[in-house]
Formats: sequence, C-alpha cells, structure tokens
Amino acid sequence: MGEVTRRTFLAAASAAAAGAATGPWVLRAQAQSTEPIKVGVVLPYTGVYAELGVSITQGMKLVFARENDRVAGRKILMIQEDDEMKPPVGIRKMEKLIDSDKVDILTGPVHSGILMGMRDKVHSSKTILIVSNAGADAISRERCSRWIFRASFSNWQPNFPMGTWVAKNVSKEAYIAAPNYQAGKDQLGAFKESFEAAGGKIIGEDYPKLGETDYAPYLTKIKQSGAKLVYVFFSGTDAVNFVKQYDQFGLKKTTKLTGAGFLTEPDVLPAQGQSALGIITGHFYSPLLDNPTNKKFVKDFRAQYGGKVPDGFACQGYDTAEVIIRSLRAVNGNTQDKDKWVDAIAKVEFDSPRGRFRFDPKTHNVIQPFIYIRKVEETALGLNNVPFDKVANVTDPGTGCTLPA
Amino acid sequence: MAFIPDFFGQALNGLAYGVLLFLLSVGLTLIFGMLDIVNLAHGSYYMLGAYAGLTLIAVTGNFWLALLVAPVAVALVGAAVERTCLRPLYRRGPLDQVLLTFGLIYVFEDLVKWIWSGRIRSIPTPALFSSSVTVLGATIPSYRLFVIVFGLAMAVALWALIEKTRLGAIIRAGVFDSEMTAGMGINIDRVFTGVFAFGAGLAGLSGVIAGPIQSASPPMGASILVPALIVVVVGGLGSLKGSLVGSLIIGQAETFGKVWLPGASMLMIYVVMALILLFRPQGLFGRALK
Amino acid sequence: MTTARVVGFAALVAIVAAFPLFAGTYPVKLLQEILIWGIFAMSLDLLMGYAGMVSFGHSAFFGIGGYIAALALVKSPGLVSALLLPALAAAVGALVIGFFSIRVSGVYFIMLTLAFSQMFYAVTFQAAWLGAEDGLVGVPRPSVFGWDAASPRVFHAYLLVLVVLSVLFLWRIVRSPFGHVLRGIHDNEGRMQAVGYPVNRYKLLAFVIGGTVAGVAGSLYCQFVGSISPDAFLWTTSGEALLMVIIGGTGTLGGSMLGAAAFILLQSMVSSYTERWMLILGLTFVFLVLFAPGGILGALRGRVGIHS
Repeated sequence: MGEVTRRTFLAAASAAAAGAATGPWVLRAQAQSTEPIKVGVVLPYTGVYAELGVSITQGMKLVFARENDRVAGRKILMIQEDDEMKPPVGIRKMEKLIDSDKVDILTGPVHSGILMGMRDKVHSSKTILIVSNAGADAISRERCSRWIFRASFSNWQPNFPMGTWVAKNVSKEAYIAAPNYQAGKDQLGAFKESFEAAGGKIIGEDYPKLGETDYAPYLTKIKQSGAKLVYVFFSGTDAVNFVKQYDQFGLKKTTKLTGAGFLTEPDVLPAQGQSALGIITGHFYSPLLDNPTNKKFVKDFRAQYGGKVPDGFACQGYDTAEVIIRSLRAVNGNTQDKDKWVDAIAKVEFDSPRGRFRFDPKTHNVIQPFIYIRKVEETALGLNNVPFDKVANVTDPGTGCTLPA
Repeated sequence: MAFIPDFFGQALNGLAYGVLLFLLSVGLTLIFGMLDIVNLAHGSYYMLGAYAGLTLIAVTGNFWLALLVAPVAVALVGAAVERTCLRPLYRRGPLDQVLLTFGLIYVFEDLVKWIWSGRIRSIPTPALFSSSVTVLGATIPSYRLFVIVFGLAMAVALWALIEKTRLGAIIRAGVFDSEMTAGMGINIDRVFTGVFAFGAGLAGLSGVIAGPIQSASPPMGASILVPALIVVVVGGLGSLKGSLVGSLIIGQAETFGKVWLPGASMLMIYVVMALILLFRPQGLFGRALK
Repeated sequence: MTTARVVGFAALVAIVAAFPLFAGTYPVKLLQEILIWGIFAMSLDLLMGYAGMVSFGHSAFFGIGGYIAALALVKSPGLVSALLLPALAAAVGALVIGFFSIRVSGVYFIMLTLAFSQMFYAVTFQAAWLGAEDGLVGVPRPSVFGWDAASPRVFHAYLLVLVVLSVLFLWRIVRSPFGHVLRGIHDNEGRMQAVGYPVNRYKLLAFVIGGTVAGVAGSLYCQFVGSISPDAFLWTTSGEALLMVIIGGTGTLGGSMLGAAAFILLQSMVSSYTERWMLILGLTFVFLVLFAPGGILGALRGRVGIHS
C-alpha cells in the first residue's frame, strides 16, 4: 500500500474519472448505434392534396426499401403524421414528432402555411427539416435557417425560366392569372420579372379566389382581350376547373395556354382529360425524362406501386430520402452531432431522376439541374407531360437569406 | 361598341352561374319548406350525384343516361337516410335534425373517399355540347347554354308540380296539417320520405349537371353547402320563387363583381346577403317572421 | 354546490395542475388544447343548452379573440393584450352579429350566424396585413404579473387559472336569476314574452357573454400555438365545438369539457391508427344524436334511448 504513489493514484483516479465520464457516452453511442433512426413525416393523408402526400411518401419508401430500411448499421423508422392541410393540426403533429417521438429528422410538409408555422420551432429546437414539397419562397429568403433544407422547389424556380422562354418562343404579350394567395403571387411575380426583362408585355392580370369554381368571367375577359398567350399558376381542383372551362370556352383555338408545371401534374391530368392536350408548362421533372436514373426510377416505382407512373411529387420524396441516406452515410449514422450532420447534408450530391441534385449552400434550397419545358401529349403511358426543351441550373436568388442563421 | 357584347357575354356568364346555383339550392329550400328540416348534408347529396354520375359515365359512356339515373340513386340514399335517421327525430324538433345531418357530412365525405379515393375526378363534357357558340358577339360554351335552358325548364316544372298537381297538393296538405292529412287516409310517412328523397335527388341532379364544369373531390360536400345556404337564406327559406330570384341575383353580382371589383370576389356573396337581410331579414320571399 | 361537487372539482383541478409533473410534453400539450377548446365549447353550451340558441357562427368570436391577441401581443406582451383586448373585441363582435342575428330565430339564426363567421373567414383570408391565408405567426406569450408565460410551467398555471375562472364564471351565470330567465326562454319563449320579459335583450346578453368567453378561448389558443389563421373562422370550427357540446351533453357545462376531451383525443389518436377517423367521428355523432341525446353526461344520468 505504501508504494502507491500520488502519481499512480492520480493516474488511476483520472482513468476512473475519464471512464466514468465517457462511459455513458460510449454506452449511449453503442445504444444509439442500434437505436433506429426516426424520420418524422408531416404530410396530408386526407383532403384534396392527399394524393401529393401519398406520392411523396411512395418516393421516400422506394429509396428506403432499396436500402433495406437501414443505413450505417441502423434501422430507419418512418413516423408518418397526417396534417390534413391545416396549420393547427400540422403544428400539433410536428410538436408530437419532435417532443414526444423525438425524431432525428423531420420531413414535409405540402402546405406552405404549415411550413411557415413550423419554421420557428424547427429553428429554435435545432431539428433538421428536409422540406419535401412546400414552395414558399420565404424559406429560401429571409426566413431561411441552418437547419432547414429544401429538396423540392421554391415557387420562383419553375416560373422564372418560363418567362424568358415564353417571351422568346410563344409571344411577347401575355395575360396572366393565379389564385389570390401568396404562392400565386410569388409564382406570377417570378414569371413577370423575366418575361418583362425579355421584352414581354403583360396585357392582363387576374387573381381569382382560391377554390374558385366558376372561371367564366375571367375567361371571357381573356377572350375579349384578344390575347394570344396565357400564363397561369393553378394547382389541385383550381387547375382542373380552369383547364376544363378554358377548353369549353374555345380558347384553345385562339390562345396558347402555358403555366407552371403544377397546372398539369398527374394529380390533375386524368380529371382534365383531353382538355389538357397541348398545354405547355415548366417543371423540374417529367416521368418521360431520358436519363438512366429516371428510367430506373420509373421502372422500380411502377413495379412497386401497381403500375402507377411517378410524378414530380414522388421525385421530391425520392430525393428527400436520398439526401437522408447519403448524409447519414457520410457521418456514419451519427445523429447526435447535428452540426456535422447539417454540414454533410449541405454537401450531398447525387444523380436524381431530375438530373444532378445538389443544394445551394447559400440558401439550402435545391439547385434545379433543369427546368424542363413540357407539352401535354398522348403517350404510351397515357396523357403525360412530354419534355421538349430545357433551361439549366436554375438557382433561387435567395434574396435576404444569410446563412448560417 | 365592344362594350355591348362584352357586357352581354358577362351577363350570360352570370345567368349560367345563377342557374347552377338555383339547381344547387332548390332541393335544400324544398326540404325546408316542406319538412322544416335544414339538411346540412345537402352538399353531400350533390357530391354523391357527381360521383354516381362519373361512375355511370365511366361504365356506359353516356352522359344523358347518367343524368337520368344518378339522381335516382341519390334519391334512394336520401330515402334510406330519412327513414333510418331522421324519422325518429321528428318528435324531437329541428335542432337534433340539424345536428344529425351535420354528422352525416363527415360520414359521406369519408365514404366517398373510401370508395372512390381522394383523387380529383371530373365528368367529361357531353359530346353534344362540347364546343362554344357565339351569341350576339359574345362567346359562351354551348354546355352553359344547355344549363340555362335546362335549369329554367326545371324551375317551371317544379312550380307546376307543387302548385298544379294533386301530388303537390297532398304534399302541401301533409306539411300544413299532417294529422288531418293522415286522417284522410294518406300515408303521411311515405309523403315525408318521398319529399326528402326528392330533395336529395335534386341535389344529386345538380351535381351531375355541374360536373362538366367543375371537378369532384371528397371535400366538395362541405364546401358547396355555404353558397347553397346563402342562396336559400337570401331567397327565403322554403320559397321556390325566392330560390330562383336569389340565385339569379347572386349569379350576376358574383360575375360582375369578378370583372369590376376583383379583390372582393370572396366577399361578394356575403355582401349581397348582408344587404338583402338588412332590409328583409326573412329573405326576399320568405315567410314573414313573427 | 354540494360538498361532493366542490371536492370533486378541486380534485380535478389538482390533477390537471400536477399533470406536467408526471406526463411528457406531448400529453401535456394535448391536455392544454383540450382545456382551451373546452372553454370554447362551454361558452357555446351557454347559448345552446341554456338559451336554446344554436349558433354555427360561434367561431367568429374565437377567431376575433385569436387575431386581436396576435396583433396586440406582438406589440406589447402583457395581460391587457392577452385577455382584455381580445375579450372586448369579441364582445363588440358579438354585439354586432347578435343584433342582426337575434332578430330571427331557429333555422334562420343558424344560417345567419354561419354566414357571418364565413364572412370573417373571407375577410381575413384576403387581408395581407392579417397574414392572408397563412395568418399571423410568431405570437409571443404574455408576461403575467412578472412571470413569463413562455415558460411551460408558468403557461400551464396561467392557463389553468383562466380555465377555472371561466368555468366558475359560466357556472355563476347559469345559476343566477339571469340564467333561470334564459332557461325559461328556452322552454317557452312565448310565455316569457307574455309575462313581460324583454326576451330579445336577454338573448342578446347571453350571446355577448358567450361570445366574450369564446374570444378569451380564441386568444388562449393563439397564445398556445403561437399563431392564428383564418381557419379559426370556418363554420366547421363552430361545428366541431357543437360536436363537443353534444358529445358531452348539452346544457351541462361540464359536459362540454368532456366532449372537448373526447373529440380531441379521437382526432389525435384515431387518426394515427386509421385513415377512417372522419367516418368514425361522423358515425359516433350520428349515434349520439339518435340514441344518447344527452351526451356522455346524459347517458351517465340515464338519458338513453330514442325518445329521451
């Protein structure tokens, strides 16, 4: 006993202390390395936009299934919650996922209002959010956050290139319309910016109410204006009602109908039917894209989901899941160090069905490899959006975004 | 000179929209006028009509057949609902009936979603009326002209049915004094079921008629209720004439509102309602309130 | 109030107060949401169960309370902004809407109140300065007598105190002579009028009281979530409150709180297990109206069957 020197004692004590201090970490790391990675999903599974929620989820599951629901030795657990497209419900579900389920990462939503409602809590709780749809420009502008990435699109992106393209290829005079809410104004705003810069003139501008069922007064105005070109943003039931009534008024014979891609996406195309033929839209995706990743994506998707043809929303889900998988691989499944994880996400780059996918480090918004100009035609897969031209590397301007924030 | 065809074009739009509103609301006002029931699930019958219609068209390819058969199917559903859920409540007064029909909105919406999925659907325009025509310089889809003619004919037919036929007299008598009418040997229960089914069928019919113009989705039952209720309140609960006049007024107000006061399009229908109710709280042709 | 009732109520309050001590964050949030909707439903029960006025426009006052709270709290996060201003605004709103609506009764009243709340929906949806379709976000919680309600514990206590005060207030109203007159009007309006009561004035007062409490509920909801959107004004929001009142038992006050709990738990939990929760909710409601019109409390007291 007498030979235990102070040094030995100190060495032993510090070893014990170090062991005690790091032991729990080691144990937790070991436990963590076997605990599943919880991916929270806030999407609408009821309501008119449920189809989008389903498509996005299907895209995500396709990727996770390919990876056998595992990454870096850990199981992936998706916890899905229905936000019903209602901000109070969406926020409640988000809080459940963060506070109660303690998800490692959050994805969603479809509704920009829900996204804006989620933004502050996500930011202050340092929960990583991969936006898999909502296009509110603000999230890539003044409301951007270090913890928020967007794998879908910003409202600006499909419309800005269309302005220039349409001015060059269709007409320099346009009548434009969108529903009377922020997303509608954002989308048309982006179009107007580039259209007018390319020498175009807006000869009419209308903002019907969201959920309008009777577009007749607006269509009559368009007819009476003699416009040769109409550019619109409509989605969901608005897109169906507008396109059908546009056709019924005989406007297709006199005026070219163009718009942001959501006008003719597969959630509305079947209901529009023949009325949609010939409509030209801009979008970052079409199932007919001719690259090897997309061809495989379409084949695997159809095999998995009973012949269903994937749409832009499924591609968004696919990309969201790819971002999660690849970033986790880069950090060896370490979900504890959020800073490292965020840095890994920002650096993710891969081949997506839409082209080469990467985030803009300035805004954490996806840089669209292409915005494709597509026309609705009858194809072997039924009515679909056939790409025939494209604009490369469309990056949201990110005005007012200062990261890290 | 372009003002005249421009104006006329919009007036035609307003007329078509007004007639659609009439078709939508007449079932609601009849059921109230005859049975004293506010059927909040009225929009659900409209929705059922649209969905039954599009299924029939998908199967038979014939719009006109769907127009004939779908309302009958919806009427049968209405009859079933009246017999099982509403008849027990007649003794209890209008409040419980209102509440029950409110619960039915949820039931129907989910059933429709279950059977037909939540995807947006639509009834294709019948081939006969798929083009547009020019009337006095104004372009209007021929289908909307059909709607105008059909709707106005319907209004006349309903008026004749209620005022001029024996069946109408029985119904009116049954509502006015059910005990006396029953005492005269008329099966009053069957009359009530029949009237309710008829109202539901009318709602279903308007769902098919509006189909080519509008899309169909499960939440449409709840959302179509508000314009229908407003038309009925403005026209006067229970008044067929009020329903027609009220919907024509609102149709024009909404249409010209969209042209001249674009920012106010969501509010227009409420403004009209508020103005009319300010001076006639019972609606244009409603029974005077005590 | 009997001793049993007082003890029971106190016990309930104690459990709710202590809830955060043994439950996780999410269940506590569910409880708080139930409490807030419970007040909203109770204020509607005052109208429905006691004065016999079925309003589908009660959400108008909920929304007014929420929006005024949002606008005021951002400027000055105190009790005046959190409670006084929203309550006043809701009271004024109820006075105006009530003035127009109470002229008519029964079905007309239902439809008119419905239309009014939809009107508010349309106005707030369009108004850019009110956040348009997204509403107002980033609403801070108030500071209450020096304590910051942003702290979960303080908020829980603050909410509980307000809920208890609201319950006691409504309870007092219902038990007062005023409450008795209301019930008399509900039972037989003609008779009350013949006896000389200014029936419409009583109804208007009830409407304003109910609307004010609804405004407080709306303001609390806004503080709870930190945001408010036009959806608060939807007639279906009124409808949901109606469902809560019926489920719990019309004319019981306490039943409304039970109904709120049942509805919110159903909506949150059932939707996690099945997509068919709307069908379940609707059928539950239909069965309740048909077979248990007294709601849960009514059933507990034996009022079950078609001809209750």
